[in-house]
Amino acid sequence: MSGGVWMIGHPLLNLLIGLAMGLNLLALGSSRLPSIIRAMSVQGMLLGLMPLLLESANLDWRIILVVLATIVGKGLVIPGLLRRAMRAANIEREIQPFLGYVPSLLLGAGGTIAAVALARALPLMPEHAGSLLVPGAIASVLTGFILMIGRVRAISQVCGYLILENGIYLFGLLLIHSTPLLVESGILLDVTVGVFIIGLIVDRIQRAFDSLDTRKLNTLRE
Amino acid sequence: MTAAPLLLVAAGGMVLGILIGRMTPRLWLMVTLVSVIAGFAAGAMVLGGGNEWEWRSAFLVGGEPLHLRLDAISAFFLVLLCVIGGAGAVYGHGYWSKLAHPRSVRSGRLWWSVLLSSLGAVLLVSNGLHFLIAWELFTVSAYFLVTLDRQRSEVRAAGWLYLGASHVAMLCLFAFFTLLAVRTGSWELGSMRDRSELAPLFWLALVAFGLKAGMFPLHVWLPSAHANAPSHVSAMLSGVTLKIGIYGLVRFSGWLPVPPEAGWVVAFLGVTSAVLGVAFALGQHDLKRLLAYHSVENIGIILIGLGFALVAMGQDNAGWGRLALAGGLLHVWNHGLFKSLLFFSAGSVLHSTGTREMSQLGGLWRMMPWTASLFGLGAVAISGLPPLNGFVSEWLIYLGLFDATLARGPSAWMAIPAAILLGMTAALALACFAKVCGVVFLGAPRSQAAAHAHESGPAMRGAMVLLGAACMAIGLAPVVFWSAVVRAVDVWNPVWTGAATSDHAWPVALSELGLFHVALAVLALVAAVWLWRRVRRGSFSRALTWDCGYALPTPRMQYTAGSFASIITEWFAWILRPVRHEHRPETLFPQSASFTSHTPETVLEYVITPVTEIVMRVSRAARSLQHGRLQFYLLYLLIGLAALAVVVLLGGGK
Repeated sequence: MSGGVWMIGHPLLNLLIGLAMGLNLLALGSSRLPSIIRAMSVQGMLLGLMPLLLESANLDWRIILVVLATIVGKGLVIPGLLRRAMRAANIEREIQPFLGYVPSLLLGAGGTIAAVALARALPLMPEHAGSLLVPGAIASVLTGFILMIGRVRAISQVCGYLILENGIYLFGLLLIHSTPLLVESGILLDVTVGVFIIGLIVDRIQRAFDSLDTRKLNTLRE
Repeated sequence: MTAAPLLLVAAGGMVLGILIGRMTPRLWLMVTLVSVIAGFAAGAMVLGGGNEWEWRSAFLVGGEPLHLRLDAISAFFLVLLCVIGGAGAVYGHGYWSKLAHPRSVRSGRLWWSVLLSSLGAVLLVSNGLHFLIAWELFTVSAYFLVTLDRQRSEVRAAGWLYLGASHVAMLCLFAFFTLLAVRTGSWELGSMRDRSELAPLFWLALVAFGLKAGMFPLHVWLPSAHANAPSHVSAMLSGVTLKIGIYGLVRFSGWLPVPPEAGWVVAFLGVTSAVLGVAFALGQHDLKRLLAYHSVENIGIILIGLGFALVAMGQDNAGWGRLALAGGLLHVWNHGLFKSLLFFSAGSVLHSTGTREMSQLGGLWRMMPWTASLFGLGAVAISGLPPLNGFVSEWLIYLGLFDATLARGPSAWMAIPAAILLGMTAALALACFAKVCGVVFLGAPRSQAAAHAHESGPAMRGAMVLLGAACMAIGLAPVVFWSAVVRAVDVWNPVWTGAATSDHAWPVALSELGLFHVALAVLALVAAVWLWRRVRRGSFSRALTWDCGYALPTPRMQYTAGSFASIITEWFAWILRPVRHEHRPETLFPQSASFTSHTPETVLEYVITPVTEIVMRVSRAARSLQHGRLQFYLLYLLIGLAALAVVVLLGGGK
């Protein structure tokens, strides 16, 4: 696989996606919650910039609105809410994850390589063949899954979910011409409200049970 | 005049009955009786030569237009439904009274009305979807009737088993009707004999309707449901709802093409049900459970008739098939009548003594002469003895089997053993009812309850007398009912209409049989009067029967239900698997000794239960996948997605 193939078309875009994939690994490898949140928020802002590059030929006010909303939402509001929840719950670190940091890092790296390899096997449209969009999306979804499966703190799982959502957003960029912007903004709003509610719940759970270990929250399984 | 106004009255009465069933018992009984009489008249009109009634409406039920049809086959079963439904309502009025059952008497009336109307709907509808709706309604209302006395745990267990088994049948019916609808493009039902690609659907219908009819080995739900239901409900279950299973088989084997081997299978299952049903009956010590196993036997006899009719249809519509089916259908009526009579009488015994255990009964004929003699009448009828109705229908089936034998060919090889086994069944049934009558009604009472029994009230006796009279009517004047049966048979296979050369011979033969029966009945009556007069004159002395020289014979030294039948149950030990508990006397002066035996539900306990246990074990293992850990649920998701991706990438998704 030569790197040159991927730079055709959108070199800057591929650079951004490459950065996002690196942030995935950062999130997987770190044990401190603030750094996971930071990785996620930077990734959200990078993704927010992408429509600008993709639509640089015909920019209009709606695209700029979406770009601004995504950057503010994913980059500032959601991480802010999570930090607040983290402070309320008074936790800084992930403890005793199901999956250690090194194994999850290895899995994530393997997944990223596999995603890049896999994307060539997928029946993509010719104009997408040269971009890192699809491998980046798959890698982010995988990272999100690994975080959600491997961690026991509710807040790290929320971060995992948000990275997974970022992956889906990347997929969505493939369809930027056919997806109404209203849908995009709707998804963004949903995620924000979801995180807002999770922040409240985390606070309540912490007060009621004095723990945020999701392994202990299995009484209602039936 | 057509059947329409009568059916309208019947339907209106039923709706009114459902509405007022919870409140006014007398008015409910009157409305129900008017309704069943109207329904009976409508059925009798069609059977008596009137036109078929068919009604298509634009009114949609569940998205399908309503389509009702009353042809001779529907009418044949409708008449039975109305007779038993009416008699059961009257009987239940006395049997399930407010005094004895304050908690359930109101819902008993309500569900009785629902059951009658849904059964009527099953018989009349001509649309697969509506058939399913009516069928489910009938299943559920029968469940509530079976579990009227649901304070008792064995009643709840029986009801649960019934509900489970019924829904297995329901599942098959769903498959049957949807496949039929897919292949024909419509839910409409009707004759489609020429579409041979529909033939394999018959097997689904056989399982579903056979399960409902109590065909061996699908009868597992039947004994406990019939034994634990209130007796008027047992009569209804045994007399009518089992026959609705037969109705389904007759209806759809008449409308749809059947696979060539269907007749052989049905006949084989019929013979199996008949012989094993009576064998299991012999092993029972519970009066109502014994009667329930006789239902399996009689369903077998009916299936023999239907099976040979199917065989005959596959062999150039040989005329003997017509006789076999006529016998089978007439046996539907007959079994409905005498089995309901027997359940009513058993209920009367239960009502007055409070027990169904035959080992607790005995000597009841002195206290309950009506019940005893009507039970005796039913016993003679079910054993297929002349001059009653059981003999007439079995005679017709025998004639069909003999003709099949004379016709040579492969059918003869099946007909000969079938005829022999049918004869054996009747003989075993006779032995079984000799046991019941002897143990329950003769001898000395075995318990205080039996010693203080009393005759039941006029409502219960009236219903029993009505059914007894109907049994005698079919026995003494069979030719009257022949035309009705033939009409139903000719609807089943129109090719037979007028084709059979013996069209005029059978009424003559039947009227001769009727004359013979009348003569026999008169002789029996004369003998009875003569004996009674001798008893009255007192020209003999009363004494104990020979008591083996015991100094102090007690009622416990009588033959029990188990010992009376033990020789015959030994023959069938390979399938009955009787369980004995012996505690032999040991020393010279033994302190205690005991012996009990019982017959388990072989199929249920040795086949169904182990299978369900395996299913439960697998399900429990699967449940441990659900442990409440979110992380692992996500892992399942990921694995599932990865598997899908692999399938797609390998090209399996195309």
